[in-house]
Amino acid sequence: MTQSTAATSDTAQSNSHIAIQAQNVTLSLGEGDARVDILKGIDLSIDAGNTVALLGPSGSGKSSLMAILSGLERATSGTVNIAGADFGKMNEDELAVARRGRVGIVLQAFHLLPTMTAHENVAVPLELDGSSDPFSIAAEELSAVGLGDRLGHYPTQLSGGEQQRVAIARAMASRPSIIFADEPTGNLDGATGEIIIELLFERQKATQATLLMITHDPELAKRCDRIIELRDGLIERDSAA
Amino acid sequence: MSGNLAKAWTIARRDLRGRFVGLRLLIICLFLGVATLATIGSLTVSITDELANRGQSILGGDIEVSIAQREASSEELDALRSEGEMSETIRMQAMARLPDRSETQLVELKGVDALYPLYGELLLDSGEAAQKPGPNDIFVTPALMQRLTLKTGDTINFGETSFTIAGVISDEPDRLSEGLSLGPVAITSLEGLRATQLIQPGSLFESKYRVKLPTEVDPTELADRLGEEFKNQAWEIDTRNNGAPGTRRFIERMGQFLTLVGLASLVIAGIGVGNGVASYLRGKQNAIATLKILGADSAMIFRIYMMQIFAIAIIAIVAGLFVGAFIPYLILQFAGDVLPIRPDFAIYPLPLFVSAAYGLLIAVIFALPPLARAKLIPAAGLFRGEGNSWRSIDRSTWVAVLLSIAGIIVLALSSTNEPTFTLAFIGSALGILILLTLLGTLIRWLASKAPRPNQPLLRLALTNLHRPGAQTGQLVVALGLGLTLFATLAAIQTSLNNEIRNTVPTEAPSFFVLDIPVERADEFTSRVNAEAGKADVNIVPTLRGVITEYGGQIVSELEEIPEGAWVLRGDRGLTYSPTVPEGSEVTSGEWWAADYDGPPVVSMDEEVADVLGLKVGDSLTVSLLGVEIKSTIASLRAVNWRNFGFNYVLVFPPNVLADTPHNVAATIQVDEAMEDGLLGILPSEFPSISMVKVKEITSQVSTILNQMAAAIASAASIAIFSGIAVLIGAIAASRQSRIYDSVILKLLGATRTQILSAQAIEYAVLALLLSAVALALGLFAGWFVITQIFEFNWQPDWGVVLLTLGIGAIVTLGIGLVGSIPVLSAKPARALREL
Repeated sequence: MTQSTAATSDTAQSNSHIAIQAQNVTLSLGEGDARVDILKGIDLSIDAGNTVALLGPSGSGKSSLMAILSGLERATSGTVNIAGADFGKMNEDELAVARRGRVGIVLQAFHLLPTMTAHENVAVPLELDGSSDPFSIAAEELSAVGLGDRLGHYPTQLSGGEQQRVAIARAMASRPSIIFADEPTGNLDGATGEIIIELLFERQKATQATLLMITHDPELAKRCDRIIELRDGLIERDSAA
Repeated sequence: MSGNLAKAWTIARRDLRGRFVGLRLLIICLFLGVATLATIGSLTVSITDELANRGQSILGGDIEVSIAQREASSEELDALRSEGEMSETIRMQAMARLPDRSETQLVELKGVDALYPLYGELLLDSGEAAQKPGPNDIFVTPALMQRLTLKTGDTINFGETSFTIAGVISDEPDRLSEGLSLGPVAITSLEGLRATQLIQPGSLFESKYRVKLPTEVDPTELADRLGEEFKNQAWEIDTRNNGAPGTRRFIERMGQFLTLVGLASLVIAGIGVGNGVASYLRGKQNAIATLKILGADSAMIFRIYMMQIFAIAIIAIVAGLFVGAFIPYLILQFAGDVLPIRPDFAIYPLPLFVSAAYGLLIAVIFALPPLARAKLIPAAGLFRGEGNSWRSIDRSTWVAVLLSIAGIIVLALSSTNEPTFTLAFIGSALGILILLTLLGTLIRWLASKAPRPNQPLLRLALTNLHRPGAQTGQLVVALGLGLTLFATLAAIQTSLNNEIRNTVPTEAPSFFVLDIPVERADEFTSRVNAEAGKADVNIVPTLRGVITEYGGQIVSELEEIPEGAWVLRGDRGLTYSPTVPEGSEVTSGEWWAADYDGPPVVSMDEEVADVLGLKVGDSLTVSLLGVEIKSTIASLRAVNWRNFGFNYVLVFPPNVLADTPHNVAATIQVDEAMEDGLLGILPSEFPSISMVKVKEITSQVSTILNQMAAAIASAASIAIFSGIAVLIGAIAASRQSRIYDSVILKLLGATRTQILSAQAIEYAVLALLLSAVALALGLFAGWFVITQIFEFNWQPDWGVVLLTLGIGAIVTLGIGLVGSIPVLSAKPARALREL
């Protein structure tokens, strides 16, 4: 396996244009004989506003890398800088706070809060961030994803595609500078998945957020500015789309 | 901070919509525990409050002076009359005889003056108030009518006088203040009582002088002043604020004990609370992880779920308070004559407040730890399924839990008159809880180390006891404590009943006889022997006096009677003897010579001396018949109070008391066939005596014990219900894993009967283990109480004890099997998709 450098094409680009930077990031779980090295030294730098596809076979470490970059997991070693915040030095609570307004996450299984309506689900990150008018913003976001007439619906009353749209609205609501999407169409049929991808790219373009997306679909990957391929915990290939 | 709380509350409310699985257990357990405590507290306060409110009529006046074995002197009467309207009564035990002497009955005979009662009315069964009885009129209670087959207008004799029954008493207003009665009641005039000639120097009787005071006079201040003025006259003074002190003390003591039992039950309920909260939060793992992804830190998570849980807890507590406030009314309606008084319905805030405080503290102790763990669920838990990972609890949570435990102890101690007993009870309950917790851990460990059975269903049953997430430990504690309480109660109650049934008849005398004239003592013994043939008659001098000073401490100057110093309350039996009495052993000091003629000395029970802090050489002053006798303690004795003879705390040498007017008492042991004959002859030949048939007394005692046991069992039953709730909660919590097991077993060819058998084996093993633990602990606790505290023989009814535990085991097994039915009906294909 080879390890490619993670630098962008323009080395003179100033750091303020770098949304995501990881240096020699490793992740190991377990101890002794049960220890598993999931990431073995990742160097990565992603410019702000770029769309990046993360490819790789099962077990290559894609989800783990995304978890570290989004602050859901702490790296075993290495530095992680996300939109100017050093995630590597933060504890669990500091990471939660750091995610507010900085990071939006869309997951394969949607993970909406089942006892809250679509409107309330989207409002939650805004409320946690201290927004003065979370529900108005939430309504706007839902309208932007075509669910302006479903504000009062609970997740069980929405289709899979609709739930994922709510999840996208929730992720975008606080105008994060970075969006992480972990196989956002994995639980959806082909047609619905297409709609979701279109929506995701549309919202990314509208907000100029950086998008890092895990996908198994090479065609989808080609739509992104950059493709990073992982294998066995290392970056095997990193090329512009 | 308030912004964070508002945010947390907003999210908490939304998140709480929908199902409350897990929180139902919290609701049920808290509701049961708080309702029990509120019921006990409200009932106790309602009775003691009623005793206080009806103080005037219960006491028969605003202030009462009681004097033993004499009537008040003219100086004393003048002093009392100068304070207000005064009524005099005299009360004593006496034998009622039919004119043909065919039957006799021990009776509490009371003589009243024209002003009686100062408050309330003596009501007859006709509904009318009784008029002042003439010198030969007498009013009697229905019990006496029944026992001697009498009717109004019939004649009965007391002493030298015949009386005509003028009416049947339906309500004696001062009954409660008269205390325990050994027989039915008969009320006549003072003139009539004196005409019986039963009141002689040395007779055992009590004079009472009740005064109706002007409204501006404070009875307590007056009592203090009179007590000081007549401090050497052996007066016992009560006021309307404390009209029935003995009854009030009994009710308060019983209420405090039941509260402790209820508190132990609430602790069990707390285990259910903890299990319910943990189960609920396990179901919220994904929501918690999602909230963390969205930016909620652990403090926010804690706030959100703490608000949810305590909002539900408060609802459960309020519901418990509501029930606890109203159930006493139902109890009072159905209790009949069991309770001494029947108050009207009212809400009593203090016991409700205390019950709510207990409930909240229990909720904090048991809900905080799972909350503290839940807040640490990482955002990555969504990916890694870290639901069952152990997370340690932070220090602030431990501090809150420990402070809450301290709060419960402080609350218990502040609401009791017997802090030592309360502390001992709490310590014992905690000790048993710790022991059960260790046993639960041991059982899991043993199950994990036991050889794996070859039979797969047996293997499954065994591994279910110790699999990750198994609630074996909690079940051992929750169900174990309830079963232990019941085993303990069954052992104590049956042992006491057997003591009464088996030991008393063989060791107790047939009769206690009081007020035998001292000059006729030999004649009495001869008569008994002549009538009964082989009889064992034991005669002792008997007087009554009041301790007025001990070791330099004047009793009337005490702010309150020290804990355990019952001898300072009221008058005591006194006796004299040249030799060490049977049943006593000198443990300190020296017994006097048989012909001792020196300064007054006294021998004292060593346990009482210990309570009062007295030793050989200290002073002790008693007042009897208006005369104070100051003595020096010459010796201390170990007294065998179990020997059913006449035992006395204070024994004097003959030279101190022999010349004081007194009568003698006797115990008579005869064949049962001779008892009725003696009862027919002796009272007529010795009119002043009272004969107490021991069998009747033990029957009354047995009835009272059974009633008390029923009350205690009711309070303890909440522990069982809470334990059952915990069991149901444990079954619900493990349903997913059991369905999974069931589905896989079906895939592999197991029938539903086989799967149910595996469940049955598991719960049967659990039930047997619980019963064994409860049997061991319950028997030890029962043995300790019976042999070390009561100092009785250990003779429980093994059948009853085992039956009690057997029922508990069957209930456990039954609930386990019923809970297994939904597991059996899970459809494999669907379950595999969903699990």
